This record gives sequence, C-alpha cells and structure tokens, in this order.
Amino acid sequence: MLSRRRLGVTLGIVLSLILSTVALGALGDRLLSRGTNGSDVREMQAKLIQLGYPVGPLDGKFGSRTENAVRKFQQDHGLKVDGIAGPKTIGELSHLTGSSTNASGVALGNKSADVNLLAHIVNGEARGEPFIGQVAVAAVVLNRLKNPAFPKTIAGVIYQPGAFSSVSDGQVNKQPTASSIRAAREALSGVDPSHGALYFFNPAKTSNRYIWSRPEITKIGQQIFTS
Amino acid sequence: MRDRMRKAWIGTLAVALLVSLAWGVNEYQSAKQYRIALDVQHQRSLQGIAGHLDQLDTDLAKGAVAGSANQQVLYLGRVSSQSEAANHDLAQLPADQTGLSYVGQLLAQTAAFANSLSQRVAVGDAISPAEAKTLNDMHTRVIQVNRKVQDLLVRTNTENLAWTGTPTRFNLAGIFGRTQVAEAAAEGQAGSAPHSVRNGLEQLDTSLEKLPPLKYQGEYSTRSVAKPLGLPAGQVSRQQAQSVARDFLTKAGYQGLVPVPAGETKGPLAAYTFTAKTAYLEVSRQGGVVLLFRDQRPIGTRTLSAAQGQSKAAAILHALHWNLAFTSVEDDGSYIQLAAVSEEKGIYYYPDKVRLMVALDNGQLVGYDATAYWAFHHTRSFPGPRITLAEAEKKLPAGFSLTSTHLAVIPRPGNREVLCYELRGRYRGEEYLIYVDALNGKEEKIERVIHTPRGDFIQ
Repeated sequence: MLSRRRLGVTLGIVLSLILSTVALGALGDRLLSRGTNGSDVREMQAKLIQLGYPVGPLDGKFGSRTENAVRKFQQDHGLKVDGIAGPKTIGELSHLTGSSTNASGVALGNKSADVNLLAHIVNGEARGEPFIGQVAVAAVVLNRLKNPAFPKTIAGVIYQPGAFSSVSDGQVNKQPTASSIRAAREALSGVDPSHGALYFFNPAKTSNRYIWSRPEITKIGQQIFTS
Repeated sequence: MRDRMRKAWIGTLAVALLVSLAWGVNEYQSAKQYRIALDVQHQRSLQGIAGHLDQLDTDLAKGAVAGSANQQVLYLGRVSSQSEAANHDLAQLPADQTGLSYVGQLLAQTAAFANSLSQRVAVGDAISPAEAKTLNDMHTRVIQVNRKVQDLLVRTNTENLAWTGTPTRFNLAGIFGRTQVAEAAAEGQAGSAPHSVRNGLEQLDTSLEKLPPLKYQGEYSTRSVAKPLGLPAGQVSRQQAQSVARDFLTKAGYQGLVPVPAGETKGPLAAYTFTAKTAYLEVSRQGGVVLLFRDQRPIGTRTLSAAQGQSKAAAILHALHWNLAFTSVEDDGSYIQLAAVSEEKGIYYYPDKVRLMVALDNGQLVGYDATAYWAFHHTRSFPGPRITLAEAEKKLPAGFSLTSTHLAVIPRPGNREVLCYELRGRYRGEEYLIYVDALNGKEEKIERVIHTPRGDFIQ
C-alpha cells in the first residue's frame, strides 16, 4: 500500500517535471544552437523543413544538419549567418510559416497549397537544373492550365497519368528544397522563362516521339522546352 | 559434438524457414489488401467516368436543342463540369501515356469550350453556327468515347478484366489459384477486344487519333499573344543584343560585367540569351529590348527595409527610362519583389506589367521581367469612361466602405481588355477590389485581398 503511494508520488513528480520542461520549451523562449535538444528544436526543424531546408530526421536534436539548414535559411532571408536560432531567426521562421488572414484578421490557413505542389514537381523534375530552368518547369505547369487541352487545376495537371516522370517514379513526393519553392513562387507571380512552353524534356533521357515532334522554344540547362 | 552442431544447424535453419514463411504470408496478406484497395479505387474511377460521360452525352444533346439563353447556360455549365469530372476520374486509372492522350484532351477541350460559351451566352451573346458545329463535333466524339467506356465497364464486370495487362513473372495469385492478372500479348493494338482496361483506353486513343483535330479559338489563353504588341520594330543582331545587355547591366548597377552569349529562344518573343557570372538575361530579337534578367548571386545580410528597397527600385526604373506605377510589393526576406504597370492620365494598364526584384543587402536589382509589358503594350483606343465614378459606385452593395478608386485597364479571358473603375474597399470584414466596366457599367470582376506572411495577395 505504502509502495503504491510512493509510486504515485514519484509518477506525479516525473509528470510535473515533464510538463514543466514542455512549458519551458516553447519555441523562442531560448537561443537554439548546436547541441540543444527538445520540443522547441523539433518545432523549429518542422518549420525549416516546411520552408525547404532539410534537417535530416525530425528528432528535436540540433545537430550539424540542422545547423546547416539554419545557416542556409539565414542566408536566404537576409539574416546574420551564425547557425544560431535567436529571436530574429525564429521570428522570421514563425512569420513565414504563419497563417494568412483576411482584412479583419481572421486566420485563413497557410494558403500555400499551390506553391507547395508546384515546388514538389519542380523538385522532382528539375533538381540540379539552373534556377531559371526550375522557374521554367513551374511555368510549364501553369501554361497548361491556360491551354484548353489540359486540366484546369495544378493538381489535375501534375497528376495527369504519364504527364511527368517524377510522378510515376515517386520523386515528386520528396520534400522540396528552398530553391524549388522560390522557383514555384516566381512562376506563380507570372515569370515565364519557358516562353509559353507546354512540354519540357531532357533529350538524353527521352525517347517519347510525341515530345520530340514538338517545336522547340528554348533550352535551359539540360532541358528542352517545346510548345 | 558434431551431432550437436548438426542439430543446432537444423534448428537454426528450421527457425529461419518458419520466420521467412511467416514473413512471406504476412507480405502476401498485406499485398492482397493493397491490391483490393487499389482495385476498389480503380473500379470507382471507371464507374465515375462512365457515369459522367453518360451525363455529358445527354447534356450535350439537350444543350443542342435548348432555345433560350437560360437553358443554354444551364446545359453548357453542366457539359463543362461533367467533362472535368470525367477527366478527373480518367486521371485515376492506370495508364502509360494517357497524360498526353486524346481522350483526356477531348474532355478538357469540351470543358473549356462549353465554359467559355456559357460565359458569353450569360452576358447576352448568341452561339454562332460555327460554334454549334464544333459542339456537335465534340458530341460525336463523346458518344464514341462513351460507347467504348460503357463496353469496358461491362467487360470488367462480366469477364473480370484486369486493370493493366502487364504480365507478372512470379504471380503468387496464380499459384494460389486466383486469376487477377490477364495475359497480355498485343498491348496497344486497336481492333481486337481489349484484354485489360489500360489496353481498352489505349485502343480508344488510337481510334480517336484518326479523327481530324478539333479546331476552335482558345478562349482560355489570356496570357499568350500570337504576335507581341509592344516590341519596337526592326531586328537586332546578336552583337547589338549583347551591347543592349551590357548597357542594361551598367544601368542596373553592375559595373564592368560582360554578358556572354548563351543561346537563343524561339517563338513570338524570340530572344538571344546571355549569362554574366551568376546572372541570366534575355534580349528580344525584334526591337532589342531586355525581356528577362535574373541574378542568382548570394545575398548578404539585410540592411534595407522594404520601403527603402522600393525607393531603390524606383531609382532603377528611372535609370532604365521607365515611367511606371508600383502596384504590389512582396517581402521575401533577402529581397523584395515588386510589380509595376504603365500609367497614363491616371489609368493603370495592368496588362503592361514589369516585375522587379531588389536585393535588400545593397539595393541592387536582382530580377527583372518585362515580358508581359512588351507582349501586351500598345496604344489603346478606349473612348473614355461613359459612366461616372458615382454611377459605378452605385453597383456596390450597401455598406461597402470604399478606400480607393482608380481607372484601370484589365485583361479578361479571350484576349479582351476592359476599361474599368477599380473600386477597393471593405465589406463585412473582407477587403475587395471590384472592377466595374467604365463603358457599360457591368460588374466585370471581383478580387479578394488577403494578407499573407509575404505581403498582400489578390485571389
């Protein structure tokens, strides 16, 4: 009887300790740097991944890959590059992953579904291509929306059977990089280095006769863009 | 000793065999569950296509006879949504290259054509005989597709037709006495009875391929022009284009940077392309103007605010001899993106757009896209507003609180441009841009303004 009570007390202490750690560990309460662990690190890692900065496993441990991701994020966002997530870095991370609002401040959600899906296809199809070529790949998807021969939604175009090899082989499911996300956003803002192309292909990897028969518009990196 | 060793070995092997058997059975069970789940999904999609095509066929038939505009709009709207739904289901079925297929294309074209027709009929236009003929052509093809899909559906039900005809080399289902996967010998050959759903769809495609392509004016292409409207006259050589690029770089603050020829692009806005260190430029062959510039240099620590960045952008535009008005700013952390449009006598010309990116470490231009401006800019001949601002405001709902107004030319589907009053304001907690045609007072377009982490966004 006594031991059960002692067990209860011990459990209570352990639980309250855990709860206090959780309460203390809110993102932004402390500086996060190499070697720090905890739920706040995990939260930061999730935000980094969401914005296209891979951190390796989402484990709440601030290791070298997380540090690299923080540095890259800082560089891309005009912050001091020191690999330490202080108030400015965390503030920017939270701001960019925050919700959009309407005029009276009602949260409308992240509103990044289009950017996110476009970034996935850019990542799957044009990883390793020059940035301008990545924008062009995203622009091809958007050009298809405007063409009567293609579906009228981004998801419809991207998941059209056989339309993109990265969908067939699952590459499209990989987490997009910051560069792919930026390329997607630029294409959505209206930039089109493909000059209205509807198809693109890597001549070294494609034997599809239909694609080869299309008139070429431009070549960017390894990819040919056709109408 | 040896005997004990042997027993130990046999024991280990027996355990290993049991473990691998258990693993195999487990894998087989889960594979079976996946197969059933996938089967159900495919079945649902095929049923969906059949249902939507059937309805599409009926709606096309009814729409052809409808005499009143109201009935026509109703049936054209249905044709559009049924075609899109059928295409959506088609995309869920296993296929190799149906992404580029004729069935998908036919359905997308039908949806787009019916949609643009219904919009026009809704504002008082009539369907022309040529358009009625196109609709009739589409209907003939839809009937053909529908017939084939109904047949496929019957065959999947009666003959347990497989989804794909790819023979598996080691078929567990076969070993266990189930026949889920049909043998396939002649994939893609038209004429014979299909041996799988995929094969049936391929045959359908082949039969459609023989028909002449559908021709009609694409109402959807708001973005493309057959011929750029704004490019200056005369062709330039690569050398001339190179000096244009060098001049541009100098004016944008890149002293001594030499553009190197990289290639060229074809099409209506054909251009010479150049690279210069981390930058990429396009100079048009006609007229020799810079269409696109993007520098990918690493950007240092931010020293400028968005407002300071915008005044840098204004100075750069001035140096490049542009006279434009900024319409939006987006803050990306290390740089800002701005959109600017041409403005004459207080009228914003939204199609004539130039996009800029300014780095916030030193205020340098890192991105520039004048493609839209050169494609769409021309001297317009609008007669001037025929209704007053006060009359336009009467179109707003009661309680709409106006914050700003402007005259603006906006692009509309079908390569149209409309002179409008842009009325910005708030209504029931939301912010809107409402465009009222300045010539006839019709409400042309409604945009909603939302605040995203990067700036205001219109949707």
